[in-house]
Amino acid sequence: MSAQNNGAGPFRYSEQYTPPDPVRASEVAVTRFEDAFEVDPRLMEQWVLQQTFPNWDTLRIMHARADHLDWMHRHFAEKVVSGSEVLAEIDE
Amino acid sequence: MTITDEELTTVTDALREVLREDQVLTGRPDRFNRARVPAPFPVHRWAERLPDLAVLPENTEEVAEVVRIANRLRVPVVPRDGGTGLTDGAVPLRGGIVIDVKRINAIHEIDTENRTCTVGTGISMLKLNEELARHGLIYPDDPASYPCSLVGGRIGTSGWSLIGSRYGHTRDLVLSFDHVLPTGEIMHVGDGIGGKISKSSSGYQLKHLFMGHQGTLGVATRATLKLYPKPEAEFSPFFAFSDYDSAYACVGAFARAGVGTFSGAVLFDEWKVAYLRRDDEAYIPQPADVRALACCVLYGHEDEVRIGARRLMRIARDHGARYLGDEISEGDWAARHDRYATPLHGRTRSGQVVPMSWHCEDAAVNYTKLPQVTREWHAIIADLRSRTDVFDDWGTFCYTSAATGVDYLTEIDVGIWEQQLDDRAWEMWVGAKRDIAAVALRHGASISACHGSCREGEVDLVPDELGRGFGVMLDIKRSLDPNNIMNPGKYQLDRAYTSPGGER
Repeated sequence: MSAQNNGAGPFRYSEQYTPPDPVRASEVAVTRFEDAFEVDPRLMEQWVLQQTFPNWDTLRIMHARADHLDWMHRHFAEKVVSGSEVLAEIDE
Repeated sequence: MTITDEELTTVTDALREVLREDQVLTGRPDRFNRARVPAPFPVHRWAERLPDLAVLPENTEEVAEVVRIANRLRVPVVPRDGGTGLTDGAVPLRGGIVIDVKRINAIHEIDTENRTCTVGTGISMLKLNEELARHGLIYPDDPASYPCSLVGGRIGTSGWSLIGSRYGHTRDLVLSFDHVLPTGEIMHVGDGIGGKISKSSSGYQLKHLFMGHQGTLGVATRATLKLYPKPEAEFSPFFAFSDYDSAYACVGAFARAGVGTFSGAVLFDEWKVAYLRRDDEAYIPQPADVRALACCVLYGHEDEVRIGARRLMRIARDHGARYLGDEISEGDWAARHDRYATPLHGRTRSGQVVPMSWHCEDAAVNYTKLPQVTREWHAIIADLRSRTDVFDDWGTFCYTSAATGVDYLTEIDVGIWEQQLDDRAWEMWVGAKRDIAAVALRHGASISACHGSCREGEVDLVPDELGRGFGVMLDIKRSLDPNNIMNPGKYQLDRAYTSPGGER
């Protein structure tokens, strides 16, 4: 299972524990997967050490959060009116 | 433990005459788990806040029996609902019995014609609304602890709701409730006769007296609540600004616009943006010229929401707002219903990540006072941080409390490194809390819009805030709880008695 192929294929330990190279996202954060940010590892060397996650777990956590937020929308209202939709209307 | 082993045996034996064996809990995990609240406290002092035992009553009569026993034996009683409060209402300061109401969680009635429901107070709003949704209804009491706080705790703290600008807050949404007084008598309280009446002019208005007392006047056990149609539509745009003043002006304009579906607006200041830029995936990529944020929220029928949305979007555009996009807007708003699930960490002054707990100091502040109050609060936290890494300024939010925009739940979020919170740091924190409350009062604000004001520090100033009203509080407490058994040690109410244990 590759990091990008979440949920399919065999688990290969070395593959799962080899995350993509980090890309700097800000002075204090890096990113390895699209939309998944992590604290710059240099800031987690003394009091809180960075944990190692298999790639699939990083993505699972990210997707679970999106699921949770979707659930919360449905819980409070039948539908969401998007800002971009309304912006387009007032720009007409 | 505050009572002797012999006394504990007497209490336990008496409780087992009115409750089953499994409803009386004396084990360490049972007691430790019911001493835990989210607000930071020095770890080495937790033993001071343990109950001697906990009980799990299943109905009003069982609660009344427990309270009668406690009153007869002069043992402290502390009601505990979700235990999510940030001012220690559910924390036993003198040991005794914790009454955990979680088993009193039945939905007794859903009255679709009168638009009410009657529930045991141990139910959470989330579980209640899952059932109400089957009827197209909602109970719109929406704290940041929405999934885990309980109806009874909302009554005991007179809670504040994120969408209260449209639907009202707990005090507006609870019509009436059964309440066990500190002597063990059972009272039904509401407007006049109570029940399903929303407005009465008969007699004193007692309902508010038995809300927000932080468990010092008894235990609510069964409540009748006001229901609304489940909203067809939600609209929650978030906006970025290059300066605080523009965001402040825009939020004020949102609130004053008179949009019928307006459910709330929020202002985030520069400190909050700096905090989010460290750790929140939505804000890490934002450009450096984003220095303040605002959002507004509408709920209601889709046609009404769309009309209001267009008006508020024009207001935002006129104030120079930059829309942050659908994903951030919708995701950030959805996350606000459940802030207690957020993992937290702060930074030392050198930038290293440290585990921190969240402390939220809040006040009810008029719109025109928001900038000054929040600036003075930041100065207080800056002074703390200049002396120690235990504290971290996580910025302020200001949420509308009412549709007119008159006042805002204004909160400064402070990260506290709880493992390092020694006696010296705790004293510093208590002093800062007192200073934060004093700033609020100097600007005509109330010490708390939301959480209550009975923690160390702010509680010192409650008599200043209430004036003669504080004396009336003491008179009421002494009258209703002659033996000071109900959550003693809170709100300086011991001053009502000749001795802290009441007239023993």
